[in-house]
Amino acid sequence: MKIRLAGLILPFLWAGSLAAQQGARAESFGVAVNTATLNQKAPAAALSSDGGTTQNQAGTVSVGTLITAEDAFATVSGAPDGANSDAVSTATLGRVSILNGLITADGVVAIATSTSGNSNADGSTLANLVVNGVQIAAPAPNTRVELSGVGYVVLNEQIVTDGGITVNMIHVVLRQPILGGYQTTGNIIAGSASSSVN
Amino acid sequence: MSNTRSLAALAATVVVVLLAGGCEARRDAAAPTIGTPLAHFGAPVCTPFKITGGGRIDYPPGTPEKNPPASHIYETFGAHVIASGQEVNGTCGAEKGSLEWVDHRPEFRINGEPLNLHSIEITFAEAHFEPETDCTDGGAHWGGTLRVQNTGETADFEVYDCDNGEPGAGHDGFGIRAWPVNGQLYEVLCWDEALPPAEPTCTLTGGNRQFHPTH
Repeated sequence: MKIRLAGLILPFLWAGSLAAQQGARAESFGVAVNTATLNQKAPAAALSSDGGTTQNQAGTVSVGTLITAEDAFATVSGAPDGANSDAVSTATLGRVSILNGLITADGVVAIATSTSGNSNADGSTLANLVVNGVQIAAPAPNTRVELSGVGYVVLNEQIVTDGGITVNMIHVVLRQPILGGYQTTGNIIAGSASSSVN
Repeated sequence: MSNTRSLAALAATVVVVLLAGGCEARRDAAAPTIGTPLAHFGAPVCTPFKITGGGRIDYPPGTPEKNPPASHIYETFGAHVIASGQEVNGTCGAEKGSLEWVDHRPEFRINGEPLNLHSIEITFAEAHFEPETDCTDGGAHWGGTLRVQNTGETADFEVYDCDNGEPGAGHDGFGIRAWPVNGQLYEVLCWDEALPPAEPTCTLTGGNRQFHPTH
């Protein structure tokens, strides 16, 4: 039961983790996997409370057959400064393969930018994205594609937060049928950037 | 355009002819002066300031929409600097800062990974304001030394930094020159004769630069 709850709650924690913070906030990561038996995130970067710049690199990230991503970088920069606060987070990946090639891309860029009264995902892109054999060019924000027997994927996921935005370029929600519906059994995210100022 | 702007544009043209040869990475130019700015455009101002943020540049040639879908013709970065406001050895001192730069272009890969530059020390930070730039919220020219993460070699670098209002994408700018990177001069600078010369920056296609007048 605890494991199932973790699977259900984690996506909401990811989306809303910036809401309670003050000042300038920025977080990014290349790959994150959460299932009943796995909880991994790499590379990741977070803005310190007094601002600055941080970057982490992980080369190639592989989590079993769930995901492989090359050239993974996570970068954040910004500063708390009242109405002049700013926060920018960036996650970039080279070639990505998810679920044994069910979803592939040649490049992923997630960028979240926040200044006072203005947050956006400008510059976020997916290069040569193919989902279940179908090429999808420049998916609109929050494009959902069903994955039979697996769950679904949200492409270019953009979640408005308090004073900011979270961008997940590829967010696979793993589900299994239960009586009367489905239960979430895990999440795979490739290219995530979050920023907020308040 | 004012007379000052006209002169600035003329100077920019000369700079383009002498230095840049277009918006291309030049690998055969002379090395910058070690630890100090390569060139001054107008009169830099030694004043306390901070500039922060990061994002994406599509260099060359254009925008994410124009580049081929499979291309990796872009650079991403995060960078900040805090200027002391004090003159040091004929330039403006820096308290601290950081540059993280990744060039995703295949031809710039070294040892199987994208070119990755990481600053070691920031040695100068000059402010530039209108009319030397058209950075409405403030511009900066700063640099120091960095490490090429792919090879471990140390290089001098300088960046041009422009906060031109909100949002940053499509307005703000950033450009870099470093020497030596894999033994050659490395540049991502976008000279534009229509703009004042203290701003050879490439327009951001994502992200933001934020000029903080005090720190």
